[in-house]
Amino acid sequence: MANSVKIALAGNPNSGKTTLFNALTGSEQYVGNWPGVTVEKKDGILAGHREVVIQDLPGIYSLSPYSTEEKVSRRFLVEEGPDAILNIVDGTNIERNLYLSTQLAELGLPMVMAVNMMDVVRKNGDKIDFEKIAKALRCEVIGISALKNEGGQEAAEKAVAMAKCGEQGIGKREEGTGNGERGTGNGERRGLRRAPEVPHVFSGSVEHAIAHIEESIQGKVPLRSIRWYAIKVFERDREVINRIGLGVGEMKHIEEHIRDCEKELGDDAESIITNQRYDFIQRLMDKSLALNEKRKGKATLSDRIDKVVTHRIWAIPIFILSLCAMWWLAVAENGPGTLLTDWANDGFLADGWHLPFTTHECREEGRYKGMEFEEAQEEFAKAEATVQAWEAGEKKASIEDEETGETSEEWDVDEAAYNAAKEAKEPDPSQFGVWVPGIGALITGALERSGVSDTVKSLVVDGAWGGVATVLGFVPVIFIVFLFLAFLEDCGYMARVAFIMDRIFRKFGLSGKSFIPILIGKGCGVPAVMATRTIENERARRMTTILATFIPCGAKTVIIAMFAALFFREQWYVAALMDVVGIAIIILGGVALKKTRLFKDEAASFVLELPAYHPPTISGVWHHTWNRLKGYILKAGLIIFPACVFLWFVMHFDWSLNLLADEEIEKSILHDLGSWIAWFFEPLGFGSWQGAAASVSAEIAKEQATATLGLVAANMGGATTGSHIQALFGAVSDFPKLAALSFMVFNLFVPPCMVAIAVTFREMGSQKWGWFAVGFQLFVGYALALSVYRLGVLFAGGGFGIWTALAVVVDLFCLWAIFRPARKEAAK
Amino acid sequence: MTLATLKEGERARLVRVSGDDAVKHHLGALGFVAGTVVRVVGASYGNLILAVHESRIAVNEATAQEIEIEAV
Repeated sequence: MANSVKIALAGNPNSGKTTLFNALTGSEQYVGNWPGVTVEKKDGILAGHREVVIQDLPGIYSLSPYSTEEKVSRRFLVEEGPDAILNIVDGTNIERNLYLSTQLAELGLPMVMAVNMMDVVRKNGDKIDFEKIAKALRCEVIGISALKNEGGQEAAEKAVAMAKCGEQGIGKREEGTGNGERGTGNGERRGLRRAPEVPHVFSGSVEHAIAHIEESIQGKVPLRSIRWYAIKVFERDREVINRIGLGVGEMKHIEEHIRDCEKELGDDAESIITNQRYDFIQRLMDKSLALNEKRKGKATLSDRIDKVVTHRIWAIPIFILSLCAMWWLAVAENGPGTLLTDWANDGFLADGWHLPFTTHECREEGRYKGMEFEEAQEEFAKAEATVQAWEAGEKKASIEDEETGETSEEWDVDEAAYNAAKEAKEPDPSQFGVWVPGIGALITGALERSGVSDTVKSLVVDGAWGGVATVLGFVPVIFIVFLFLAFLEDCGYMARVAFIMDRIFRKFGLSGKSFIPILIGKGCGVPAVMATRTIENERARRMTTILATFIPCGAKTVIIAMFAALFFREQWYVAALMDVVGIAIIILGGVALKKTRLFKDEAASFVLELPAYHPPTISGVWHHTWNRLKGYILKAGLIIFPACVFLWFVMHFDWSLNLLADEEIEKSILHDLGSWIAWFFEPLGFGSWQGAAASVSAEIAKEQATATLGLVAANMGGATTGSHIQALFGAVSDFPKLAALSFMVFNLFVPPCMVAIAVTFREMGSQKWGWFAVGFQLFVGYALALSVYRLGVLFAGGGFGIWTALAVVVDLFCLWAIFRPARKEAAK
Repeated sequence: MTLATLKEGERARLVRVSGDDAVKHHLGALGFVAGTVVRVVGASYGNLILAVHESRIAVNEATAQEIEIEAV
C-alpha cells in the first residue's frame, strides 16, 4: 500500500514479543522461549489499521554484528528504516532488556517502549518509574501485559501516531539540517527536519571521541541515526565501516581518538561501550526501579523448580520420564496416539467409522442379528474363506490376519457349510451404529457414480489418494509429538534440557543445543533441521544438521512397524533397537566428524538464557504445534501427491503407454527403471527392481517405502500385502530376514526424504555443504545395511564373498574414523 | 580466579571476560560486565546457572573459565 506505516517490533528473546505480535496482528506465529527461533522476518497488519505493517524482528540482545539475528535486525532498522520502533521490554528483567533499548534509541527513530509483564511486576510488588525512563531514553514508555492483553494495542497505536507525524516523544528540539543529509526515505517524506534527540549514555572522553566521529561521517549517513553509526565506528564495527565507505585516511584519524580512550580507560573500545551502557542503566535503575524488599534474596519459584530439574542425579531420569510420557501418548498400543492413528487409517481416511457411543448390536433379521459390527465382520470373513476353500477343493478353511499374517484355527468345510456361506453378504455398517463414510470410500463412491474408467479410478484411489492417505494417517502421532514438544518449549523446560544434555553431548563434540533438533526429529526431520538455527556455533550447527535426521522420524517408524510385524515378530525390540542405532550413529558420527579437518573445533562455549518458567498459554501452544503440523500436511499435498501419481503411472504403464493389468507389472516402466539401478542394492541383499524402486520411492516420503513394496510385490505369493512382501524377500535372498533387516536399515539411515533434504540444503546455506550432508548420510546408510546383511550372512553360514570383503573393509574404515586419535591442537 | 571455581550459592563480582570475541560480546550483552555481581544458582558437573540481575544464564565450564572474578 502506498502510504503504509512500518513499525518495527524489537526486543529480547523471551520478552513476550511474539505474544504481543500475535495479539496485535492476529496472525499465526510461533510463541517460544527458545531464542533464535524467529530468524525469518515476519510481518502482519495491525488490527484496525489497514495501513500499518508491524515487522516482527528476531529476538536479539544487542545490535552487534556477531549473529545472524542481529545482522538481520540491524540491517532492517538501519537500511529499510521503519517509521517507528515498538521496543518490548521484559519488566521483570528490565536492566538487561534496556541494553538493547539504549541502542535502539540511538537510531533516532520515533520509539515507544512497551514494558511487558507488568502483571508479574505488580504481583512481585516492584515499582517502575516510566517517566524517568522516558526522559532518560528520549522515548515514550508504556506499561503493558501482552499475556493479559492489556496495553499492547495502545502502545502500538502510540507508535503509529508518532510515526505519522515524525515525532519522537519527550524532549524533541529544533535544529536545522542543512548538512546535506542523505536521503533516508521516511524521514524525508514525513518532513523530519530536526536532528533527533538521542540519549547520551557515555562518559566524557568517549562522548568526545563520538562527537569527533560524528563530524567525520556527517553526510555519509542518515542524519537521524548519525549517533548510532558513530558509536559503531568507535567500536570498530567492520560491517558499518565498510557500509559507510570510510577511507583509510579518515579511519586512521578516528583510530587515534579510539586508542586514546582505550588507553585512558584500560579496555578495548567495544568493552568500554558495553560497560558504560550498563553503568548508565544502573544509574537509571537506581532512580526508577524499586524492587520489593521482601523478595530480596529469596529463591524464585523458577529457581526452586530448577533445583530439581537440573539436579546432578535426577535431571536425566526426570527428562527420560517425560520422554516416556510423550511416547506412551503417541505410540503405545492402547494409548491415544494409536487409537487416533487406527481411526484415521482404517476409518476416517479409508472406509469409514462409527460415531463413538452409537454402536449397537444388529437389529435386522438375518445372519448378523444380535452381533456387534466386529463380530459380524469376522463372521463374513469366515464365510468368504469357506467359499474360497470349498471352490478350491479344500476340506479345511482358515483366516489369515491381514496385519499380523497370523492364521486362525482351521475348520472343516462341507457342501452344506459352503451353501450357507455363499449366501453371506458383507455386513452393512450402518446397521450397527451411526456410520460416517471415510474419505476413501467417498472418493471411490463418487468416481463410481461418475462412471469413469477403472484406470482413472485406480489412479485416483490407489495412486494419488493412497499415497496421500499414508502420510495423513500418521498425523495423529506427529500431532501428539509436536504438541508435547510445544508444551515443553513454551513453559521453558526445553532450555533446561539443552543445559542438562550439554554435559553429555560435549563429550562427542556437539553442544546441548544439538539435542533439541534430535528430539524434534523423532516427530519429523523437517522442523528438526530448522531447529538447528538456535546453535550459534557454525560447525556445531552444521554437524547437528547432518546428524539430526538419523533418529527415526515418524515416517520411518511406519517402516519399522511394518517390518517388525512381518519379519521380526518374535523380536519386538527391533523398534527400540532402531532408535538406539540412530542415537549411536549420531554420537559416533559426531565423534568421527569432529576428528576431520572440516569440523575441528576448540572447546566450544555454551551460553544460554534460562527464561523463568511460566504456564504455557493454550493459544501459544496451539500456534506452535499447528505451524509444524501444517508443514507436515502440506508435504502430503504438495510433494507426495504428484509423486504418488507419477509412481502409479510408471507402475501401470509400459514404455508404449499401454495400460497394464496388475499381474503384468514386470512390463512396466517402473520395472525397467528399478532394474537399471538394482545393481546398487545387490551387495545389500535386496538387489531386485522391486527393492530398488521401493528404496528410491522412499526418498519422496519414507512411508512410501512400505507402500511401494506392497504394490510391486502384489503378484508374489500369498493373499495379503504382508505375505506378498515376505514372498518378495524370500525370492530375492536366501536369507530373507537379513535382507529385510538390511532393507529396513538402509531406508532408515540414508538421506531423509526430499523435503528434509531440501531444508538441509537451505539451512546449510551452500551447495557444497548440502551435498556433503547427503553424501555422508548415504555412506552411513549403505555401510550399515551392507554390514548387517553380509556379516549376518557370514555368521548364518552363507559363506564369504566379495561383498563380504567389501563390508569388512568399510567397517574397518568406520572404526578407524571413530577411534583414531584426534589431531593435536595447533597453538590458539 | 574464574567463575569456574564458584560453588552453588556463592556470589562474586565480575572483573573481565576473555576469550572469543563473539562469545565475549554476547556475554557482555547479557550483563556480564565488570562490576556486576553474579550469584551461582545451580551447579552440576562444572556447568553453572548464574543469576545476573533478574535473569538466569547457563554457562558451561569452558565458558566459566574465561570469566575472571573477584570476591565480593
